Amino acid sequence: MAEVSEVSRLVLAAASGDGAAWNELVRRFSPLVMAVTRSYRLPAADAQDVSQTVWLRLVEHLANLREPEALPGWLARTTQHECSRQVQRAQRVLPVDPQTDGAMQHPAIADLDADILRAELRQALRDGLHELPARDQRLLQLRAGDPPTSYHEISQLTGMRIGSIGPTLRRSLDRLRETSSVRAYLASAPISDGVTGGDRLELADVE
Amino acid sequence: MSSPTWNDDELLRELRAALQESPVDEGVIRAAQAAFTWRTVDDDLELLSLDAGFGLTADALVRGGGAGGPRTLAFHGERLSVEIEIDEAGIVGQLTPPRPGQVTLVTADGPQATTQADDIGCFIFPPPTAGPLRLDCRLGDGHFITDWVTV
Repeated sequence: MAEVSEVSRLVLAAASGDGAAWNELVRRFSPLVMAVTRSYRLPAADAQDVSQTVWLRLVEHLANLREPEALPGWLARTTQHECSRQVQRAQRVLPVDPQTDGAMQHPAIADLDADILRAELRQALRDGLHELPARDQRLLQLRAGDPPTSYHEISQLTGMRIGSIGPTLRRSLDRLRETSSVRAYLASAPISDGVTGGDRLELADVE
Repeated sequence: MSSPTWNDDELLRELRAALQESPVDEGVIRAAQAAFTWRTVDDDLELLSLDAGFGLTADALVRGGGAGGPRTLAFHGERLSVEIEIDEAGIVGQLTPPRPGQVTLVTADGPQATTQADDIGCFIFPPPTAGPLRLDCRLGDGHFITDWVTV
């Protein structure tokens, strides 16, 4: 029996009235919703309306989500639909501007799918990091800084010997790969029909 | 399950991008979290789901006309459908099958206006403010509420 994933647990808890679980779902998946709105180049106010509508609608549909794991896909599709509606409204209400009109009429679908995958990947990495022991989190955050914290500084900050930082970092990265969040990202099905062939984006392709 | 393409440098680079992604505005997050107060636990309330494709087809675009033309939305449940047209003059709606009743326009701030659907199920509202809205329909044979939509 597979372990119940964190997302499933949160969805089930929120569906039965747990406000804290809901708040956590919002925090985790708002980046995904906003990433989709960015693909449509909506004005900020419209993007915020779309986000609010999507979350309001999810409140009603939480209990009906047959597969809690499908939540990211549900959010992405619902956001896409609401964005399309906003784009249509803008086309009817605004005077025609060939420049913006072109951009709005033809949102690049391939880019949109890549955006969704990228948002999911990044969320999986943030969630995965969160799953790790504090010591791994600290080390990875230091090395994932921009610019990365040097081994010398890490040694001073953490008291680790410089010679042990490299091997420890590799083990921390291995543990990150094995977190349920990152594994779930890799194992998850395509989130929309637009993702061809069921291929998940590999890390190297995302940049 | 393995991921042979993920070497340490790539993983660290993506983690860096993930941690640097500009955070979602706190106001957006708080508004979304507040959406939970709309959770309904009323088993007698029937949800009317948005017909996602409705109004998004090329045909509807043509029927909708040019600038300022009406936008149409449809919501369906087992016992009731609601179709609405929105333009700058306001909202015109129709209950199907036709019947009279009380219809309330609700936004994320709460109920905004209440009107009566006439004997053939028609109702009108003044133009709504921008943002999410839904319709709450109290009819002789039940209490119905639509999905949220952005207008």
